[in-house]
Amino acid sequence: MASIDLDKMLAKIKSTQWALSDIDWDAPGAELITEEQWPKLKDFMADLMWIEHVGARAFAAMAKKAPTDTLREIYTYFHAEEQRHANAEMALMKRWGMLEGDEIPEPNINLRLVIEWLDRYSDEMPVYVLGTVVPMLEIALDGALCTFLLETVKDPVCHQAFEKINDDESRHLGVGFSVMEMQGRGKTFIGATKMLAPLLDPRLMLGIASYVPLLNKMRDNIITMGLPEERLYAAMAKFEKIGGRTEDGRRNPWFQVIRQHAKFVVDRNNRAYHMPVDGMVKLTGLIPRRALPAVPSWVKELTYQPTA
Amino acid sequence: MTTSSASPKKTARKTAPRKRSASAKRTAAKKSPAVKPVSVLIVGAGFAGLGMAIRLKQAGIEDFAILERSNAVGGTWRDNQYPGAACDIPSNLYSYSFAPNPNWSRSFSGSEEILGYIHHLVAEFKLESHIRFQKNVEDLSFDEKKGVWTATTDKGEKFAGRAAVMAQGPLSNCSFPAITGIEDFKGHKIHSARWDHDYDFAGKKVAVIGTGASGIQIIPELVKQAKHLKVFQRTPGWVMPRPDFATPQWNKKLFEKLPASQQAMRNLLYWTHESMALAVIWNSPLTRVAERVARLHLRRQVKDRWLRRQLTPDFTIGCKRVLVSNDYYPALQKDNAKLITWPIARLSEKGIRTVEGIEHQVDCIVFATGFDVSHSGTPFPVKGRKGRVLGDEWQGGAQAYKSINVSGYPNLYMTFGPNSGPGHNSALVYMESQLDYAVKGVQKILQEDLKVLDVKEDVQRKHNKTMQKRLAKTNWNSGCKSWYLTEDGFNATMYPGFATQYAAQMADFEENDYETA
Repeated sequence: MASIDLDKMLAKIKSTQWALSDIDWDAPGAELITEEQWPKLKDFMADLMWIEHVGARAFAAMAKKAPTDTLREIYTYFHAEEQRHANAEMALMKRWGMLEGDEIPEPNINLRLVIEWLDRYSDEMPVYVLGTVVPMLEIALDGALCTFLLETVKDPVCHQAFEKINDDESRHLGVGFSVMEMQGRGKTFIGATKMLAPLLDPRLMLGIASYVPLLNKMRDNIITMGLPEERLYAAMAKFEKIGGRTEDGRRNPWFQVIRQHAKFVVDRNNRAYHMPVDGMVKLTGLIPRRALPAVPSWVKELTYQPTA
Repeated sequence: MTTSSASPKKTARKTAPRKRSASAKRTAAKKSPAVKPVSVLIVGAGFAGLGMAIRLKQAGIEDFAILERSNAVGGTWRDNQYPGAACDIPSNLYSYSFAPNPNWSRSFSGSEEILGYIHHLVAEFKLESHIRFQKNVEDLSFDEKKGVWTATTDKGEKFAGRAAVMAQGPLSNCSFPAITGIEDFKGHKIHSARWDHDYDFAGKKVAVIGTGASGIQIIPELVKQAKHLKVFQRTPGWVMPRPDFATPQWNKKLFEKLPASQQAMRNLLYWTHESMALAVIWNSPLTRVAERVARLHLRRQVKDRWLRRQLTPDFTIGCKRVLVSNDYYPALQKDNAKLITWPIARLSEKGIRTVEGIEHQVDCIVFATGFDVSHSGTPFPVKGRKGRVLGDEWQGGAQAYKSINVSGYPNLYMTFGPNSGPGHNSALVYMESQLDYAVKGVQKILQEDLKVLDVKEDVQRKHNKTMQKRLAKTNWNSGCKSWYLTEDGFNATMYPGFATQYAAQMADFEENDYETA
């Protein structure tokens, strides 16, 4: 993938803003959600919304560490745009009668742990760590989920909203892969090894411990909802294909780490990986909610209301 | 408003010289340009212009005129009368040493009291008769043969002087920022520097855009009045605690009866602020200490981690204007207040749309977005020798000699000219040095009956080379975007050193640096 001009991208981002009020959330079409679909869709949308929100917080952390002013501003916009996606998805849930009052859907425990980690440690992480993980999450989870959703749901308002969301996401991915290549450009063996040093950072180890079971958990959720898991794997393969298209991209050691991890996730026969990770999913499922601290206040910023 | 030092916060903008109306031109053409020149023509009746007048009087020069575009004196303190407006330098230092006021009511006085002090200066030094109100200068031209500067107003009136002092101030012009859709907003719009005192905020949903020096003073006041207040922040600044207290009566009496005690207090404040240069101007261990103090102030006043994160700056302290407030953080946490850090996408008919997709609907938007600071132009055309136009020469960034003279523009003095801004001490301390320097220049022109007293070009170039070399090592040039810098990162605003160094720079009027005729 050719490197993109980040200044032009920033200008494009600024000129293509949209708001929730651009969509008529009361337009006809909500009735197209079938009774059978409704409960599954409710869980699905809640997961999707939380992934967007987690992505938002990751962009906020990346903005702190961005190497240039332009990239800092782009990440600041992406932070807000991911929040907008979460807000729009909540608005869809409201439209479909999936929210009671002003209730924010509960995140699953693995998402909750990731939220906790992001809140406490993400700002300390070098930009190339989250800069590689986030495109993977976006392309694999977000990408696979959105495609599936549009295939399944006939409501035109949903399609209208996701057309806008997908336009944003394509820019997020464009920047994401471009930055991954930037980070790999001209990297010597020593330079690349240095980039892997944070793997020894206990804070990052905690992050990995919350990220790894999240992927397996989401895989399980997706299957429950009727999405063939191959779809997820195909999206993950896309990460490998685009991220590894150039030598610079391949030279980014974090691309190699995430790519290798994706291979483990995809290979169901890799029991050495899946047994302990599935065990972690079960174990984390036992954590009582009471044991977790109160959700950080940025979580409460979510809203389905177009105006405030 | 505020400041210290040079000023309140601002938005860097290239100011285009205003065009004269056709009728004004016709009027001017009819009138004879033969105007009897005064010794000194001063543009602006704010702190600088009035201070200049006082020092000229004290030097025995009475033949001067002050051209003021408004109908009242006070400059930035006349314009900045928003709720909570105050100076962030202690009043005993933010006042002229040659006109002490023993009666400051607080350690940091509000704008009304400062404006009162300015009015007091006018009365005390009998300046009123020298001021020509509603004379909005639109052109300043030098006639080399006569050795006279002529100021032309927007009504075509002409005033001439053998020397001229540009004391219009760097922060005298303001405008609404260029946010997309600003013309679509149907609610009420107020600029902090042009406050609408008739607007009733009670029961209203209000937005404040900007959290610089003016914004953080307005917010604690508006939160008391508005039904709901949303604060839109782009970049958080470093906020230091403000040791503000009411002056006890005995203190006022002491200063009155024993002026030396007030001078001693001024000296103490001066040296305390001087020491802050080590933290604010250059990146030193003291910079970390100052940041630590600001972080502790934030931690003590804000308990929520995310809010603290939103309010934590990501640049070295001093790179942008350091803010001072005890009530800003608490105001943001009131039930009827909310800090919004999402970027603004555009203004709409009913409010502000931010990038997270929400339209924040409000009745009124307060723009605390600073001033139009010109780094590369002049507020009106200034024409020097051989048809030179200062705005053209400053396209790449403003430059002067010792901040006060510009080669090719003889007999012209600037207050708060290029590279005279302080980041850590009182603006008036710097101003006094400028005024005294200008008096020396004027005295030389008058005593030696000079037509031209013009700083040599190579002397100016050498001075600026040194300035920029020194500026490169300061926090202002450490990477953040601020109104101190041009779009290209050129610093034409700040003086890279202690106030004491600046005073030393201005203490000597080196005749050899000037060409005379």
